[in-house]
Order: sequence, then structure tokens, then C-alpha cells
Amino acid sequence: MTTATTAAPPKRRRDPVSILDRSAGGNLLYVAPGLVVYALFVFLPILASVYISLTEWNGLAVPAFIGLKNYVELFADGRFYTSLGNNAQFIVFYCAVPLVIGICLAAIISTVKQRERLVLRTLFFLPYIMPTAVLGIIFQWLYNPAFGPFNQFLKAVGLKVIAIPWLGDFTWVLPAVGAVASWYFFGFCMVVFLTGMQRIDPQLFDAAKVDGARGWQSFWHITLPSLLPEIRVVLLLTIIASIKSFDLIFTMTRGGPGNATLVPNIYMYQLGFQLNRYGYAAAVAIIGAILVFVVNLAVHFGMRRLDRTGAK
Amino acid sequence: MAASRSTLFNGPGLPFRAILWVFGLITVVPFGLLLLTSIKSKPDLLKGAFVLPAYPHFENYVNAWVDGHFSTYFTNSVVVVLPVVVVSVVLGLLTGFAFAFLSFPLKRVIFIVLTIGMMVPTEAFIIPLYYEMLYLNLINTYWVLILTQIALSVPFSTLFMASAMQQLPAEVLEAAVLDGATRPQVLWRVIVPLLLPAVSTLSLFLFIWTWNEFLLPLILVNDDALRTLPIGMLFFQGKYTVNTPVLTAGAIIVIAPIVLVYLVFQRKFIEGLTAGASK
Repeated sequence: MTTATTAAPPKRRRDPVSILDRSAGGNLLYVAPGLVVYALFVFLPILASVYISLTEWNGLAVPAFIGLKNYVELFADGRFYTSLGNNAQFIVFYCAVPLVIGICLAAIISTVKQRERLVLRTLFFLPYIMPTAVLGIIFQWLYNPAFGPFNQFLKAVGLKVIAIPWLGDFTWVLPAVGAVASWYFFGFCMVVFLTGMQRIDPQLFDAAKVDGARGWQSFWHITLPSLLPEIRVVLLLTIIASIKSFDLIFTMTRGGPGNATLVPNIYMYQLGFQLNRYGYAAAVAIIGAILVFVVNLAVHFGMRRLDRTGAK
Repeated sequence: MAASRSTLFNGPGLPFRAILWVFGLITVVPFGLLLLTSIKSKPDLLKGAFVLPAYPHFENYVNAWVDGHFSTYFTNSVVVVLPVVVVSVVLGLLTGFAFAFLSFPLKRVIFIVLTIGMMVPTEAFIIPLYYEMLYLNLINTYWVLILTQIALSVPFSTLFMASAMQQLPAEVLEAAVLDGATRPQVLWRVIVPLLLPAVSTLSLFLFIWTWNEFLLPLILVNDDALRTLPIGMLFFQGKYTVNTPVLTAGAIIVIAPIVLVYLVFQRKFIEGLTAGASK
């Protein structure tokens, strides 16, 4: 979470040399403390990770440089592809489901009275501030086949047939974990969309109404296109969150049963901290980081094209 | 404003409001169950998840706090979170000040290096970080938890403070400089008081992120006496899966401070987050 990409980069100032500017040496004193800490404990390890991914290393001996061999092995590794495939499925739950629910709820909630809206907004947003690791532990208990409340509820309403051991079922474990992610993100999506809707000129809706547009028509032709910037942010944050997913899956299933919920970060953890194959694990981690960059670029350029076609 | 927006649909309508409250229910039911189960005895539990206990068993909290070591985990979380928030905000102010108003060599490059740190997942460099800390003899200390989380928050704090400072009216700063204020005086006596809302929003984010952090303390600390709440909870679960009431009481201990902070500052929190998101 610490790496949420929500801040805008500082804009270049009209007047780059401000009245506070002094000699470069004096200026650097302001940058140095933060930068040194950051360089030592974040940037240096990032660079080291790139190098380690090019070595064979068990954590004890000196890392042996082997070039791109880890990456070659990775691209023939069935478990790695399984983890990528699972991650693709998780994107549906991390991204698509919360986005759709969020946008629909925002459209509805913008019509209710101020006080009710605030109460609901506070509720919906609650999961997003929670530690996902602890949520994982809580939901593991909720899903428990023997005494978990979820199956007790299903049995009570006569759905005993589907009261299965969710987290032990090869088919249903991924949707079961994914549902928790959707539950975690939909309120956040809703809040972002609600803020976006407050930006829309109300006159647009009035005009549409005069033209005889029905509720869902103005939603489709006015609300949705106006929300493109918010959709972009939500896509970016949730897709990246799904690629980075670790805490929730780790505490709920450890990637199991079998490889049913294995994602790259869990695979990386197993390879490194359980099998001591640090070089190979670093390669998995680097591929994950590259994926995050690619998604950033793809969403950025994809949405820009949509922006242009939308503005015709 | 609310009136004009109601033209989106022709009034809220009961079915639509029902949908809202169903989702509201879905959001709170897990927490409600958590709270309910945390005051049950083990025999109460067998009567069903939704049945109220005869009387509340607060001893579950005592058990979690004392026998479950949650008192230790709680103390550790506080000991880590406080310095991380304070130091990160101060560093964010200094570096943000430099990015907003000063020129220095490699400014663009350093900016890119910082954004890389925001995008790369912690998982990607946790292995070298672990060995670096092992080499520095910092594994299993408070230092390792505090230093790494300060370092991780430098990029966000910097960009957050820099963009807040750029929105300050230039005249105020000019007036201060003309009055003969030195740069530290401008920063701490003029800028910081004006930016108190931004400072408190940033502190709020840092508090919650640090309180919730899982991977760093999981990897960098393996001494039970140094575990923070989320990690303590994980290992507690491994030991006592069967004792659900105490486990849920522990979960409440972990999330109560965040929920409290959230409910008090929720407007500030949500607005801060969405303001950043929609930029």
C-alpha cells in the first residue's frame, strides 16, 4: 500500500529559480537526508535484485553469475505460467468486479440524501483501510467448512449443497479469495467515482432530460464518459494491486490447495525463503516489477486513445 | 447540488436504496461477526455463529492481550509507527521543499529514481534488503522496521509535500524572504503552519500504511518479542486455530486503532485519498 501511485508529479514551475534558491551545495542539504535513506534501503536493493536475478545463489555461498539463465528457465517453467494465469483470473476480482460495482453504487448513491450518503460512504470505504493480512485471517475463519459463519449461513437458508470447503476446493478457491479482494476494493472505487461525479456539470443532466433521455441513457452518455480519468486511476491502482497481491493470498491459502491460488509473489516467496533459490526468485520478482511498468504504460496509452475517440 | 444531481435518476427509488443498504450490510457483516464472536465462550460458538452469547466473555480480550502476547505486538506496532510517521513527514517536508522551490544537480534523474521506488513492489527487492540488513546486523531490531518503512515512504511523502507546497501563494514566501527570514525559518515558520492540513493527511496515510505493513516485518523480524500486530496475529493463528473467540478478540485489537482513527478523520482521509487519485 505504501507505494500507491496517487500523487501527481511536481509540475514544472513557470519560474524554476525561485527566490528561495541558493547554491547547489546548500540546496542539496535539503534533499540529502531523504535521498540517502531511500537510496540505501530501497534503491540499492532494487539494483541488487536485478543483479541477483542474473546469478545462481543459495543465500550462503558467493552468488555465481549465470547471465540470463534464470529467465530462460523461468519461461519454460510450468508453475510460473500457472501463477501468471491465476493472476490474470485475480484481475477480474481485483479490478473488473469492484469497478463495475463501484460505478453503479456511485450512480445510485449520488441520488440519496446528504446524510445517508455520508453514512454509506463511510461504511463502503471501511475495508480499504484494513490490513489485508488480517482480513485474510478473518476470512479464512469466515470460510471455515466446519464452523465458519459463511457455510452456517448457507445451511440455514437451505443451500446446504453449496456449503463446500471453499478454501480447500481446487475450482472455487480462486473465486472465494477473489471475492474478498472485490469486497476490499469496491468501496474505494465507489468513493473515487463519487468524487468524479461531483465534477460533472448538473446542467448536462438537465439538458439530457429535456431531450427525453432516460436515467440509464444519461448515465451511459454523460456520466460514464466524464468519469474516464477516474476509471483510469481505478484501473491502474487495482491492476497493480493484483500483480502485487501477496498478503491476502498468503494468509488465506499460502497459494494452495496445490497451485490453485499460486501467484508470482507467492511463488517468489516459496522459491526464495523456502527453497533458497534466491537468484531464481529474484528473476520472478523482476518480471513482476516489469509487469507493473507495462500495465502503467498500457493503461496510460490505452486511456489516452479512449479519451481522444470519446472527444470526437 | 444534491437536488440537481437527483436528475440522474428520477429520485432514488426504494429498490435502488435497498441495493445500497445490501452492499452496506455486506461490508459490515464480517466485522459484526468478528465483534460478536470475540465475546463468546467456546461452548457458545457451537450453538451457531449468529447466536448471541448468554453474557459477554471479555476474558477473550485478556487472553489475547496477555497469553496471546498481543500486548507485546501492540507495543511494537506503536514503537515502530510513531517514529516512522514523524521522521517520514519531516523528510517529506525537506525533500518536498527542495523539489518545489530549489534547483540542484540531477533533479529530473532523482525524480525518476524516486518514482521507480513507488512503482516497484516491495516483494521485488525484499531478498537483497534482507541480506543487506543481515550484513548490517539489524535483523531482529526495531531499527530494521523503522528504517525500511521510512525509506519506503520517502517517495510518496516527497511528491505529496512538493505538490502541496507548489499550491502556496508565491507572495507569502516572497514577503517572508523580503522580511529577512532565512530558508529554515521560511520552511518551519511560514510553510509548515500553512500546510498543516496536508501534513495531517500525510501522517494519517503513513500511520495506516505502517500499522498494516505485513511483508517487511514478516521477513525482517523473526523474534516473537519484536513482531508487530499483523505478524503476531498470523503466528497466533498458527498456534491457536481452535480458539476462535480469542483469535477474533486479537483481530479486534489489531483493527480497533485503525477504525478509531478512520472514524474520527474519515472525511479528511477520503478527501485526501481521492484528491490525490483524481489529479
